[in-house]
Amino acid sequence: MANTACFIIVSRNDIPIYEAEVGSAPKKEEAAHQHQFILHAALDIVQDLAWTTSAMFLKAVDRFNDLVVSVYVTAGHSRLMLLHDSRNEDGIKSFFQEVHELYVKILLNPLYLPGSRITSSHFDTKVRALARKYL
Amino acid sequence: MGREVAETCMEGMIFEMVSTYSTRFYATKPELAARRIEAIGYQVGLQLSERYTTERPRFSDHLEAIKFICKDFWSELFNKQIDNLRTNHRGTFVLQDNRFRWLTRVRINSLPKKMDASQHDPSAPTPDNKTAQATSMHLYFPCGIIRGALSNLGIPCAVSADISNLPACEINYIL
Repeated sequence: MANTACFIIVSRNDIPIYEAEVGSAPKKEEAAHQHQFILHAALDIVQDLAWTTSAMFLKAVDRFNDLVVSVYVTAGHSRLMLLHDSRNEDGIKSFFQEVHELYVKILLNPLYLPGSRITSSHFDTKVRALARKYL
Repeated sequence: MGREVAETCMEGMIFEMVSTYSTRFYATKPELAARRIEAIGYQVGLQLSERYTTERPRFSDHLEAIKFICKDFWSELFNKQIDNLRTNHRGTFVLQDNRFRWLTRVRINSLPKKMDASQHDPSAPTPDNKTAQATSMHLYFPCGIIRGALSNLGIPCAVSADISNLPACEINYIL
């Protein structure tokens, strides 16, 4: 099932700390730039929306052609953003929750400076495996 | 993420950390030692607050976040909740804990002549201000934890602690 999906984690200081293309569709270079652009442009909307609700999973906050941006905000105001074209909301919610658990584990590492880039290859592998499982 | 350790191990480790920083690393500069301890507490507070907020919905305003600190955060750390929370509605909050866990093993000898059968008294029977200073070193770590937790929830603040009567402990923060 080919689908496009781009996932980024933005910290509370508005610095992207993790990016990955997790879709199973064949990659195209221009599309990758566009995906990043769309996600970054959606940040403003997320900013407004985040203060209106106390839920963590904000569903679809923005659309572009047939791609949808879904966002999950943690209590520390880190935003997990996913650009996708599927409609499977429960799968996306479970994906976000599992990535949140992984993110907390990274944070618990005393050698990790909160707010810096996540460079762990294990994290990367696990996120991609989760994406294959849930998306 | 759920293995358990005896509480006395934790208390022993914290005591040891404070005494190492005060006596070995920065013996001549107690302010530097205090800053280092507080910085350690800050990072721990950041990490702990992320960890404890995964399960619950986010906070809609400052008061909610402070209530979370008083109830859930405190009970995760110390197995009890804050006894008293006061505010002046202009940004200052005072948290009072009548029996602060990490300080229950500390006694300040107010009557130096009497032999007290007190438990593990790390403060030597010297004049009061010296023991007060030694005890106040122990407060920097919990202050750092609270500052880290609040900063992560979006509330930068200054935290200070006050021990006028042990084992009660008052913590003030100013937004």
